[in-house]
Amino acid sequence: MIRNAHKLTRNDLGLVITFLIAASVMTWLSYSLPRFLPGDFVTATYGSSQVTLTAEQEAALRDYYGENEGFGNYLLRLVHLDWGYSYGFQTPVSALFFSALPWTILLMGSAHLISMVIGFVAGVEAAWRRNRPFEKGLVGGMTVLEGIPEICTGVILLFVFALQLQWFPAAGAETAYGEKVFLAHVLDVVHHLTLPLCTLVLAYFPGNFLLTRNSMMMVIMADYVNTARAKGLPPLRIRYVHAARNALIPVVTRFGMRLAFMITGALVVEKINAYPGVGTLLYNAIAARDLPVIQVVVLMSSLLILAIFFALEFAYRLIDPRIHHAR
Amino acid sequence: MHVNFHATLRRDPWFLSGVTLSALFLILALLGPFLAPFSPWNMDFIPLSPPSATHLLGVNDGGQDIFSELLYAIRNTFVFGVISASTALFLGVLLGAVAGWFGGVVDLILMRLADVLLAIPAIMILILVAALFRPSPVFLALILSGLMWPTISKTIRAQTLNLKQSLHVRAARQMGGGSGYIIAKHLIPEMFPLYLIGFAAKARMAMFMEASLAFLGLLDPSRKSLGMMISYALQFYYMDIWWHWLFPPIICLSLMIMMVTFLAISLEKVLDPRLKESMPGRRL
Amino acid sequence: MSLKIKDFSVVYRDGDHSIQAVEEATISVERGRCLALVGESGSGKTTLGKACLGLLPGNAQTAGRIFLNDREIDFSNETLLNQLRWQRISMVFQNGAETLNPAYRIIDQVAEPLVEKGGENRKSALKRASAALFDMGLPEACHRRYPHQLSGGQVQRGLLAMAVILEPDILILDEPTSALDALNKSFVVEIIQRYKERGKGILLITHDLEFAVRHGDEMAVLYLGQVMETLPAGEMLSNPIHPYTMALGRSYPTMGTARDLGGIRGDAFYRLVHQHGRRDEAQYHHSHIQIPESAHANGHAPPTGCLFQGRCTQAIEACKTGYVNFEAVQNHQVRCLRRGIVSALSLKGVSKKYGNNTALNGTDLELKAGELLSLVGETGSGKTTLAMIAGGVMAQDHGFRTFEDRDMDEWLKNDMGTIARRIGVVYQNPAESISHRFTCMTLWPNP
Repeated sequence: MIRNAHKLTRNDLGLVITFLIAASVMTWLSYSLPRFLPGDFVTATYGSSQVTLTAEQEAALRDYYGENEGFGNYLLRLVHLDWGYSYGFQTPVSALFFSALPWTILLMGSAHLISMVIGFVAGVEAAWRRNRPFEKGLVGGMTVLEGIPEICTGVILLFVFALQLQWFPAAGAETAYGEKVFLAHVLDVVHHLTLPLCTLVLAYFPGNFLLTRNSMMMVIMADYVNTARAKGLPPLRIRYVHAARNALIPVVTRFGMRLAFMITGALVVEKINAYPGVGTLLYNAIAARDLPVIQVVVLMSSLLILAIFFALEFAYRLIDPRIHHAR
Repeated sequence: MHVNFHATLRRDPWFLSGVTLSALFLILALLGPFLAPFSPWNMDFIPLSPPSATHLLGVNDGGQDIFSELLYAIRNTFVFGVISASTALFLGVLLGAVAGWFGGVVDLILMRLADVLLAIPAIMILILVAALFRPSPVFLALILSGLMWPTISKTIRAQTLNLKQSLHVRAARQMGGGSGYIIAKHLIPEMFPLYLIGFAAKARMAMFMEASLAFLGLLDPSRKSLGMMISYALQFYYMDIWWHWLFPPIICLSLMIMMVTFLAISLEKVLDPRLKESMPGRRL
Repeated sequence: MSLKIKDFSVVYRDGDHSIQAVEEATISVERGRCLALVGESGSGKTTLGKACLGLLPGNAQTAGRIFLNDREIDFSNETLLNQLRWQRISMVFQNGAETLNPAYRIIDQVAEPLVEKGGENRKSALKRASAALFDMGLPEACHRRYPHQLSGGQVQRGLLAMAVILEPDILILDEPTSALDALNKSFVVEIIQRYKERGKGILLITHDLEFAVRHGDEMAVLYLGQVMETLPAGEMLSNPIHPYTMALGRSYPTMGTARDLGGIRGDAFYRLVHQHGRRDEAQYHHSHIQIPESAHANGHAPPTGCLFQGRCTQAIEACKTGYVNFEAVQNHQVRCLRRGIVSALSLKGVSKKYGNNTALNGTDLELKAGELLSLVGETGSGKTTLAMIAGGVMAQDHGFRTFEDRDMDEWLKNDMGTIARRIGVVYQNPAESISHRFTCMTLWPNP
């Protein structure tokens, strides 16, 4: 890794400012947009929804979203995790969010991790063995796979494995009222996780693979790979320590740029598999016009994504020494 | 930029597939309303009936002919993608070229703006706006393009900076060519291949977004969309609707996304060496 | 600690065609000596260097043998080869932008062979690497830097330190001075000296002739993949025997416009080796040089003969056919049909008097093929007279003159026609030497 990466430069400051601005924009939007709704807020949103409000609930809502609530007050509430109350679910929004979040993290985290590792290794090995027929076929297959959006893969997998073969459950993260014994519980979770996980991995893997392969093919031509060969180093070391290490840089870069759009896919997949993560929560809230939930989910997700972006920026400099020292 | 990529492109199987599919879907999109046997909103038919001679793909739960729905849905997704991508392209090229050409404060402001917009997750804004306001799809397409132009503008800006050093641009400047003239006549036509790549990539994202938004129920329910069809069909997963109701929109959506993916990949493959030299560091 | 290359050939396959990069090269680097391998770009120098380490790309076909310390290197056994690499023989590559891995610090890269091949533990390896870098003149501060933070000269020193860290017997330097200033160049000289003193052998690949002549012990001259001459390095400028060696020595950049006069004429491209009739294993090995003007109908130049004859100043008919061997001439090895540079014009004991004026008195003159000889002297010293006699315009009083080993007097008398065009004269006084009756157009085709 790069030493002295923690030294901040002027570039860093600009980065921090950018993210702060973005975060502020998101927060402000989540605050102000509801106030732009035409007519009476409450009727406009809840008039046609599946939630029926009692008179006092209506009054409470009006008060809650009243124009007199300032932005400052709003911020304070956010920080204190007082995120309002969901009328559709009859629970505080924060409770809903935090019970759904772990599942999403589990799903997305493992999907990204697996697809990155497999995609990277496969890409490196494919590039090393370039132009053999198997490799060409693999590249072709991956290109086609990349063209299939998560919605489609999700549905197809659901059809084949959940409905036809009945190998996996069609919904949920764990069997309700199931075993609480640890090992059995873990297995149960994994069992439920498999389908959505596979869907996402299938969606993320081709991109990683192709990108790594392309990046690697350019790296292989480089002089320093020749130098490494001349040094008589073992082939595995040349491939990974010398070549793949440099191929990593564009891969990580592109990852950051795709992140925002990967979220969309994750939302959809959760819904398809009825996986109780943030995505399903959002979907249900949208269906029920449950505005407090929608607001909070959007805001928190955005902030989380921003945080990840920010972390990625620092990851770049760990990986590419040239960036750290560029002005 | 390089002129001779036509020959290589024409031979590339991905490019050909992409173009063929695009042509196919373009025709379907244009002729959709004429090819549809019934109006997709016509709810007179027996709900959930299987495919037959009159109803090629059967009837959905609301009594509407699925085949007609499909044709209109293809059209809507296609149009959404085109509008969004074109607007994003227009904005990206304009702002990128201006930033690259004028440099200085203009460049700084525009690039900072681009950075902020890049950081904001597009889907969240779209969800928020769609959930609150139920705007027309065109409006959403435009908002999406407002969030997609930054990546294009960065690419264009990098290439503009590169071109600024080229001989014919410097000669034009020396001869007294004004900024507008140079940008219009010298820079913009030069970067044509980049536009194709940008358009394909953004169209892909836009169509995917449209399908996802429709799937999540954020778009107008009476507007036919592939995502929406999938979403409705899925509700009846326990019934025998998979082959005629669920798979057709899935296949169509996959093919549409594939066609732009293939175009983008083949274009990038052919043009990449030329682009490589102009990309400094990591941010495109 | 010697490196011997015997009859080594390298052909790069590219589909149907191949490029002959090296053909039957035989050179040797002796213990404690430095062999300079010189030639133009594309002559095969780097290919030969890389071949010693088995670093040729997959599409390269090789023939011949390479001996390291009198033991033949088996290039098919990758494991054994890996053991040899860097430990017995190492190479300092041309200093490009990415010869060092940009992702790691220079000290890590120098220490890497110690850890991976020497089995040392990381800490002591880093210490030794640091010492090696310091030895090469890199200050402590630079050791922990990344390649992009170092200057060209510093990277070069780093590459040198890395190459010698395992004390290999043979060190190959590929263009070590191409990107360096004088200070760094002298440093490379120092390194070469040091290494030779320890009994190691150095193969110096370079197109910097000055450097090669000054600091090499022996020199091998390559042209289009063939070794044209091997000679003691110091004799390259004073006593070259192959015409190409002489021409090379004269190809200074400043002589660009007069290149054809004193340097190398014309252009050459690649040596292509066709393979026809593959199906039944009967392969027509058909070799030719790709040049703009071709003698054959299907665009090929004559396939046999000396490679250099198209650009040689003394090529004769025999040079176009027949294989040319690599033979010993004096204390050099030379590949030339005429056994090296021949004498073109020779004057012995020539005297000339104009009335009472003795213009020339027993003057000798020897002009070799391809040589540029200047006659200087004060007015009236006899320059023009000598030149006229040499050109066959004037006859001498006493003495002999020979042109291409044939007595000129006899030739001029009996066979004026053939000698007439062979010697061209440009006179001092234009007005007198050209009849004022002719126009330019009629004048030039005159001869």
